[in-house]
Amino acid sequence: MIELRNITKIYNKGKPNEVIALKDINMKIKEGKITVLTGPSGCGKTTLLSIIGLILTPTYGDVIYNGENVTKYSDYWKTKFRRENIGFIFQHINLLPGYNALENILLPLYSMDLNPMDYMDRAMELLSRLKVLERAKHKVEQLSGGEQQRIAFVRALIKDPKYILADEPTVFVDEETSHIIHDIMEDLRDRGKTIIISTHDPELIKIADEVYRFTYGRLIT
Amino acid sequence: MIKKQKNIISYAFDCILGYKMRTMVILITFLIATTMISSVLFVKDGLEKEAEISIEAAPDLTIQFLRGGRLEPIPISYINEISKIEGVEKVVPRIWGYVGISNYVFTIVGIDTSNISPLENFGLESGRFIKEGDRGKIVVGKLLANLLNLKVGDNVIFLNEAIQAKKYQVIGIFSDQTSIYTADMIIMSIEDARDFFNIPNGYASDLCVYINQRYRPSDIAVKMSTIPNLRVLDKDLLLRGYKVAYASRGGIFVTLWSIVLVAVALISLSQMIVVGQQSRFEVGLLKSFGFSTLDIIEVRLIESLVIGFFASSLGMILGYIYSLYLGAPGLIDILLGWYFLPREFRIPVFINWTTVFSIYSVTIFPLLIATVVPAWLNAITDPDIAMRRGIA
Repeated sequence: MIELRNITKIYNKGKPNEVIALKDINMKIKEGKITVLTGPSGCGKTTLLSIIGLILTPTYGDVIYNGENVTKYSDYWKTKFRRENIGFIFQHINLLPGYNALENILLPLYSMDLNPMDYMDRAMELLSRLKVLERAKHKVEQLSGGEQQRIAFVRALIKDPKYILADEPTVFVDEETSHIIHDIMEDLRDRGKTIIISTHDPELIKIADEVYRFTYGRLIT
Repeated sequence: MIKKQKNIISYAFDCILGYKMRTMVILITFLIATTMISSVLFVKDGLEKEAEISIEAAPDLTIQFLRGGRLEPIPISYINEISKIEGVEKVVPRIWGYVGISNYVFTIVGIDTSNISPLENFGLESGRFIKEGDRGKIVVGKLLANLLNLKVGDNVIFLNEAIQAKKYQVIGIFSDQTSIYTADMIIMSIEDARDFFNIPNGYASDLCVYINQRYRPSDIAVKMSTIPNLRVLDKDLLLRGYKVAYASRGGIFVTLWSIVLVAVALISLSQMIVVGQQSRFEVGLLKSFGFSTLDIIEVRLIESLVIGFFASSLGMILGYIYSLYLGAPGLIDILLGWYFLPREFRIPVFINWTTVFSIYSVTIFPLLIATVVPAWLNAITDPDIAMRRGIA
């Protein structure tokens, strides 16, 4: 269970351009389920995903993983936790330019005590399933937006993380690929993975076990 | 942990090859800086080495005669007086002076052939050294040999100050290992030199004093200071004088090039800031994947060390080529100063390991600061913020 208690995030606090991105958010996210965060653009979904993924510190409030309040834990602890447990799919895709698709996919494994090459088969299998296998050796710059998103999706799953945090994972892909992603998400849930998705995609919302709606930094339902 | 370290090293090398722009900017700026610095230092070390060689050939003490504060030929009768001082092993007269040939000025050194001269230790490219009984024979440096296309056995005529033609046969040519010291030298017997410079019998230009190893030349010099009209030059004093002269001249340039290095470091720093946006994004992303702050610093450290070491090494090779094969144009005139050498003459270049280490230090250290510090600052920021700043 991931519990969020009174999460508030204020950017540029105390400055003229202060923005309250999230205010007093309280949520309980169940393990092994698909949880969807939805709402208009700029309502704070991405910020909340970043806070849940421990890559952004809330201004106020607590993030509790399985009863353990990790908010004030050290940077080292959070980094280790992310390394071992979390896979991210970012809204801006965030692939490293200059590298090919496969190199980007294997990149998260370079921080672990294992041989990234041992994960080649898994990468190929996922690439094949998402119909981008022939793009494996292409540089990021040579890939379309949809292809890049699929590569980012494979990258998030390569280390088979316990938690998958996906920010608008289907926004750049066509309908067919979107269905494949839905199927993969359901498969992952069946394997006990916890999936938290920020999306406007009605199809993704349909497969969700729980849906949280936001507006202007506040949780509606 | 071994596999992780291997991954980190592998990723650092991927960065060097992957971020071509960043790598090229650092490589080129440091190549220029290191080439400039190393050429100055290699030539400076070469000149110092030459100074040391020339001092090795010098006697422990050189005695000159002063009258009214001006140098005059020294009466050879002083030899007896000086020889009596405890610790003095040998006193040898020497006659020397200058002769102009073409546009150059050469130094004629007349040696006492009955004594072994330290100059004999200098390698000859061809021929032999002056020996006892030789008259009308000379050993010449490479400059004169090149200028007049001289070979052993050739005859050469010099005009003295009285416009008298004196004919000599070349019996030896110095090698260019000690280029600056022997380049403009003409060695002949002391009798021939006396005749050439019209120095009266019983006089010499100076006296060379050799001291027993158990005694310190400076102590003997103090004892000699009680003899009137003499000026005593200590070998160590000469060496210090040479070194100070070269070091201060070289020092000016080291300072100048250091300023250039700082400028280059600033350029690379600004480039890092330009590339920094990409770097910020990368660091944020790596952190989100689970790379620790230490991992990121390690990546940047390896990256900088590899590029810096490669660039500095290449720069030193280029500096060496610039100095030795191109003759350090624009640099040698300032470093040599008073010492005139034709363009085609070999510049003394010497590689000293301390200098090599210093060059690595002054080039790689700023690079480490310029790359590791920003990486560390980004790594201690929330990854989300670092990525947003990188994308913005």
